[in-house]
Amino acid sequence: MRKGLILALSLALTLALAGVGVAAPVRGVSDTTIKIGQWGPQTGPAALWGSVARGTGCYFELLNAEGGVNGRKIEYFLRDDGYQPNRTKAVVKELLENVGVFGFASGVGTSPGMAVMPDMIANEVPWVGTATGSTHWAFPPKKTIFAVYPNYPDEAAILTNYILFTLKKEKIAFIYQNDDYGKGGLDGAQAEIKAHGKSLVAEIPVEVTDTDLASHVMKLKQAGAEAVIMWVLPKHAAILLGTSAKLGFKPQWVACSTLSDAPLMHKITKGLWNGVIFGNFAELPDSTSPLMVKYKAAFDKFADKKSDHWGVFFYAGFGFVEPMVEGIKRAGKDLTVDSFVKAMETLKDFKGIMGRVTYAPGERQGMREVFIGRCGEAEVTTPDGKQEKMGQAVRLSDWIAVK
Amino acid sequence: MLEVRNIETLYGLVMALRGVSLQLAEGRITAVLGANGAGKSTLIKTIMGLIEDQPDKGAIWLDDKRIDHRDTEEIVRLGLAFVPEGRQVFAELTVQENLAMGAYTRRGAAVRADLERVYGLFPRLLERQRQLAGTLSGGEQQMLAIGRALMMRPRILFLDEPSLGLSPLLVREIFATIARVNAEDQTTILLVEQNANMALSVCHQGYVMENGRFVLAGSAAELANDPDVREFYLGIQSEVSVKGYQRYKRKKRWR
Amino acid sequence: MFFQLIVSGIAIGATYALMALAMVIIYKTSEVLNFAQGDMAMLSAFVAFTLLTENNLGFPAAFAGALAFAFALGAFLEFAFLRRAKEPNVLGLIIITLGLEMILYGLASWKWGSDQKDFPFPVSDFDTHELGTVVVSDLNLVTLAVALSLMLLLFVFFRYTKAGVAMKATQQNEVAARLMGIRVNRILMLTWGISSVVGAAAAFMIAPVDTLDPNLMWTPQLKGFSAAVLGGMTSLVGAVGGGFLLGIIENLFGGYVSVEFKSVVAFAVIVVVLCLRPSGLFARHYVRKV
Repeated sequence: MRKGLILALSLALTLALAGVGVAAPVRGVSDTTIKIGQWGPQTGPAALWGSVARGTGCYFELLNAEGGVNGRKIEYFLRDDGYQPNRTKAVVKELLENVGVFGFASGVGTSPGMAVMPDMIANEVPWVGTATGSTHWAFPPKKTIFAVYPNYPDEAAILTNYILFTLKKEKIAFIYQNDDYGKGGLDGAQAEIKAHGKSLVAEIPVEVTDTDLASHVMKLKQAGAEAVIMWVLPKHAAILLGTSAKLGFKPQWVACSTLSDAPLMHKITKGLWNGVIFGNFAELPDSTSPLMVKYKAAFDKFADKKSDHWGVFFYAGFGFVEPMVEGIKRAGKDLTVDSFVKAMETLKDFKGIMGRVTYAPGERQGMREVFIGRCGEAEVTTPDGKQEKMGQAVRLSDWIAVK
Repeated sequence: MLEVRNIETLYGLVMALRGVSLQLAEGRITAVLGANGAGKSTLIKTIMGLIEDQPDKGAIWLDDKRIDHRDTEEIVRLGLAFVPEGRQVFAELTVQENLAMGAYTRRGAAVRADLERVYGLFPRLLERQRQLAGTLSGGEQQMLAIGRALMMRPRILFLDEPSLGLSPLLVREIFATIARVNAEDQTTILLVEQNANMALSVCHQGYVMENGRFVLAGSAAELANDPDVREFYLGIQSEVSVKGYQRYKRKKRWR
Repeated sequence: MFFQLIVSGIAIGATYALMALAMVIIYKTSEVLNFAQGDMAMLSAFVAFTLLTENNLGFPAAFAGALAFAFALGAFLEFAFLRRAKEPNVLGLIIITLGLEMILYGLASWKWGSDQKDFPFPVSDFDTHELGTVVVSDLNLVTLAVALSLMLLLFVFFRYTKAGVAMKATQQNEVAARLMGIRVNRILMLTWGISSVVGAAAAFMIAPVDTLDPNLMWTPQLKGFSAAVLGGMTSLVGAVGGGFLLGIIENLFGGYVSVEFKSVVAFAVIVVVLCLRPSGLFARHYVRKV
């Protein structure tokens, strides 16, 4: 009897303790804040894409100004990795171990992302919306990693299909950066064109360090390409178009969505970008959709105009992170990694400023559509009164989903 | 004129000069004799400012200016020229360019004239004026080094072991030229030599240095007749006693 | 195709040659490999860019201003950093230049941002001349002319001027140079200044084809270095010859063998040259006794 009492008491005590149950604290989450990290090349060869990470910062400022998510303000930690995978690793280690972030938003670059993916998997770190279309993020699916960016094979297939059936050009060449990024695009284009019983007339790799592309262009020219798809850095696109113009090679240029900032590409190619066709993963800068108008206002209010302009890469920093914020919202007050993942899996045809995003258990590739745009020109007056031509994207198609 | 007052020079912790004083006579050749490692070269290098932060103690005066602890470049510009041991010609410049570098601090027509004069003193350099200095023989390099220094029109010329590694014939030729330069231009010369015979034949006055100190000073004639100098530097055996016994081993007086 | 590849090779080779010249000038006087060379040039290109776009200066004034800046920058870096090295040895100095490279890179990223800019230039790369099937642009011709005339100018400078000969003398025997009354420190400053100007000229030629950003000179510097090694590191003619040769080899290799390995071929060439002829293809180097 006595024994029974002690047993009952201790049992009750245990239960009571468990009931009071201060749930184990979740890394990076407090009652009032959520810590979120991102890496992005603020320096280095891919620095152009670094504005994505600054755009995300702007988005979070907007959210915080509106009172945060579920009453929690977002603390944002942006680190420069210079597009160097070893630095990305260091950045992620620091943010996880010293700062203790809940998860990572976006993050530019395939190889930087690849370098940190094992850590993300091992520690079950939520990571949403890597700003690259590599297939590695979503295939095979990983519990806490959610891809947003339409993957490169999908996009290349859509572009190839567009060239074949809308532009009606059959001699297609492909010039690509000789790494995962470029090869991802190449795979998609190859598969699509093979499905229609044809093949690419030339497949030319470019190394990141190349600055002279004369022999590359001559190979394209020799192959007699009518359309050339580019899966390269902006810098190389500029050299490529310049060299081709010089050597009298004038195919229809078609570019990956990574090169979809038409005003900027127009400027750095000295106008040669005019007429180039490219994939788009987000609304155009002059879109009048309510969200885009709201984001533009946030840009006007929060962004540093010296380093940023209202271009696609900047607001892509909003778009890539919208699904993550939606997930956090849906997870509610009790935010843990598991509740977040469950919430994310409820997203179906979620629409922000990008294409529709859908996740499910076993499905981590959120967006599978792009639309086609072309670079046109607009006359603008510069602040000092000169007339200047500026590149301007023109929408050619509706969202096209991969078949 | 140049006056060295009681200088001490350290090489790290080793004291190479232990209180040396020296006064050069204007227009004269002064020789410093001494064995290897006595500190002769160190003396010149200290004067020329080639040893950083030295002399540790003492002072060097030129006329009424103190010139110790100055950059070599500036000391050179005061009219002091140094022909270092081992020639140190610019191996990959031509003979002509080497000589032109000698006149680096000067310009004008006088330079041309001096070039002619150097070629007059050393006709062999004229023959080889377009040749790279590194391809010259040792003797020719020595001539070039001296010629290069003369292109500065120096007030004082320092020569460190000009006879080193040369054939006796060449040594004689070089010393004749040194004497000639001194006689014709009234250039004050400080000559550091192990070859005491040769040095004493051209100098007016001399010092003997041992272990970083001067141990003897005098005119050329006085030194040449000093029994110790004769035995230890000129290699002349003291007389043998009548009975044929070797006299006791002489000790230097200054020890 | 063959002739076009050669011509394109010469065009790109001219920029390699200029970078090689810049590196060789410093190496010649101080045996220091200047890894900040490219970024010194990059910074000068940014200064030219600012003078052109913000101060609205004309091309002659802007380029002259930027070249003056380049000279001052080179001289300043020597004065402020390399000269301060305590008990300098060559390795230490090279590491200083590596540090400078990072500082300059950071400075440019901070001041001008790291996004790509388009560099205005009076001569276009799209105005072309056709000789049979071979296309040459105005910019190619100007680059070639600039490279050759700078080389000629430097050659005359090192051969016939007192300061030029004094630079060579300083490199060969610093102590003896001091004994000639040569102010070695000033010579080194002058060296850095001149080298920086040559590098800047290269950057002005490269930027219109490429885009202007802090990474502008990264590859050209590596190629320039390769060209300099090819030419024997100490010979001006060698550096220029090495530059052109490298440009041509690269393009022919890219055209006929493999585009994929085109950018690596430069380094393969260096390895081969260093194995077979360590003093470079063009050097008649007098072996120095140490």
